[in-house]
Amino acid sequence: MATREVTRPSAPATPPAGRRTSVQRTKLWGTLLALPTAWIVGFFVSSMVIVVLLSFGRTQRDGRPVFGTRLTNYDALWNEVYLRLFLRSLTYAVVTTLICALIAFPVAYAIALHGGRFKSVLIAAIVVPFFASYLIRMYAWSALLSDDGVVNSALRKAGLGGVQFLNTPYAVIGGLVYGYVVFMILPVYASLERMDLSLIEAGKDLYHGPLRTFFSVTLPATRAGLFGGMLLVFLPALGDFVSAQLLGGPKTYMIGNLIQQQFLEGQNWPLGSAMTVAMMIGLTVLMVIYLRATTTRNREQA
Amino acid sequence: MTPTPAVSRRSLLKGGLALGATAGLATTGCAYIPSEAKAKVQLPRSAKAKIDGDLIYFNWADYLDPSTFKGFQKEYGVKIIQSNFDSMEGMYAKLQAGNQYDIIFPIAKWVQKLRLEGKVRAIDHGQLSNADQVFYSGSYYNDPWYDDKSAVSVPFTVYKTGIGWRTDKVDAISGSWKDLWNPQAAKRIFTLDDQDEALAMAALLLGYDVNTAKPSQLDEIKKLLVSQKKYLRAYSSDDVNNMARGDAWIHHMWSGDFAYLREGVVKKPENYDFEAPEEGTPINSDAYCIPTNAKHPGTAMLFIDYLLRPEVAKKNMGYLYYPFPVRDALPAFADLVKDTPAANVDVKELENSNVFRLLGADEVQRRAATWTEVKAS
Repeated sequence: MATREVTRPSAPATPPAGRRTSVQRTKLWGTLLALPTAWIVGFFVSSMVIVVLLSFGRTQRDGRPVFGTRLTNYDALWNEVYLRLFLRSLTYAVVTTLICALIAFPVAYAIALHGGRFKSVLIAAIVVPFFASYLIRMYAWSALLSDDGVVNSALRKAGLGGVQFLNTPYAVIGGLVYGYVVFMILPVYASLERMDLSLIEAGKDLYHGPLRTFFSVTLPATRAGLFGGMLLVFLPALGDFVSAQLLGGPKTYMIGNLIQQQFLEGQNWPLGSAMTVAMMIGLTVLMVIYLRATTTRNREQA
Repeated sequence: MTPTPAVSRRSLLKGGLALGATAGLATTGCAYIPSEAKAKVQLPRSAKAKIDGDLIYFNWADYLDPSTFKGFQKEYGVKIIQSNFDSMEGMYAKLQAGNQYDIIFPIAKWVQKLRLEGKVRAIDHGQLSNADQVFYSGSYYNDPWYDDKSAVSVPFTVYKTGIGWRTDKVDAISGSWKDLWNPQAAKRIFTLDDQDEALAMAALLLGYDVNTAKPSQLDEIKKLLVSQKKYLRAYSSDDVNNMARGDAWIHHMWSGDFAYLREGVVKKPENYDFEAPEEGTPINSDAYCIPTNAKHPGTAMLFIDYLLRPEVAKKNMGYLYYPFPVRDALPAFADLVKDTPAANVDVKELENSNVFRLLGADEVQRRAATWTEVKAS
């Protein structure tokens, strides 16, 4: 930037120095923002638009999806089977979120308040396994928990008898919890880190027991992190299909599997798109309700 | 191979099904027939078998013995650049998007589709020095159902779908697809997580065409498959691992996967057996094709010729455990599965009607809706 100014000495009416830098700064930010904006518009928004448009389309006889203006795909959604799947997925996602919260809070608490100089190492230890593909980690679980797998062999050696872990709803929820718990740990950890520890001491000074201190001081102070984490876990868990596919049984099919099937074997992209759009609308409504409820409560708190 | 009663039963079924199929054609103008006219259009010309660059290879993962690539590269002084697909739909989408590959490995009905759409080149058999290994007098492949005169494809493997089971866990097997409802193995039974295979299994039990898209028949198929759920542990196509890890005692399974499980994976092969149910088994095949937009079709021709060498085919069969219909290599496969002959595939069986045909989108969608409802209920 500076060199360009120098090579343009004849620039008319140079604005005062202060203003120029601010204009330059806005320009700089504009350029910096342009790339990610283009990226988001190019790849995220446009693909969303395609999905929405396709949801009104149809499939040609040769299997190619084409755009259209029909509502048939949405009519097809009013199917008792799909509704049941949605409720099942919702249940799995809610249970997953609650279990994640129960796991994440103590873990984050222990690291943030008692981790000392090992804090970053401990956080890294939690995050690093998530660098491996989710799919591969799920495969690993199915190998570990299979009937003749490591865990069952150990149980049998200990004389406890084998347990059928795999292909149950518990396995699917377990997979979801394992897959997404880190999204809860990190925001909770961050809000615990930011919390003023003297608040806890103050609670204790006021003769609160540790439990009461936790519920009336620590929990409210870290509510934002917890609510954020819940959202980050709930949304992907609801749309997940990998856990049900690799760890599930004959009655654990989820909405994500349903949508995935339309795009692959089903050769019905328009129907899959309509399902996606319907689910997004449903989730947006849920999210708005959730956000309003949590923010008003936060405001009351403040 | 299969016991005689099964064969006679199957041919009986074939007669009935052929009738049904023709009726279907007459009434609904079945499947892809309207586009059949396009097939008359001149096929993109065959390339000469001559090195014209490195080979861009597009196949399922781990389908050929690594020594095949090494051997070809060494002999011809070119590189093989590998990429993989994990579904036929995925492969098709990549081609559709304009990606250029020199050799692809589609399943039979996809060969038909690609040919109809002009996406694959002709393959001049005269250019292949080992062509007589697959296109000998009386060979089924001289005119397979999916590719008139094998004009655009050279056969790769054949396979059928049956039932793999644990002889140490299950007392007896009845020889019918009903074995997938065996109460003794309840909650240890797996059905393939595959729309065509699952629907075909039920269709065969009911005596229907494996490709049926008739609403009334699909409805019966749905009920039958839902009735299986209480015996089922899961729908999964990971048949080898499910069996090897002890999760499955009875598994709806592909013949080559079974051969691999028994001869290449488990410690006690005598505990595993395979049956080809008497109602008939789906049989399928895949092939080598050269896309029209291939940059190095000449190298691809040489690679196909290389794969047709009996010694190369033998090596690959020992790796993949599916039979390659290469004449002088087939006895080696029979030997590989001599203890479980049901896992062998007689190429002649391709003439039966239990092959997965190319269907129209509306038919696929009806079948998909049935399968979805089965899995969702």
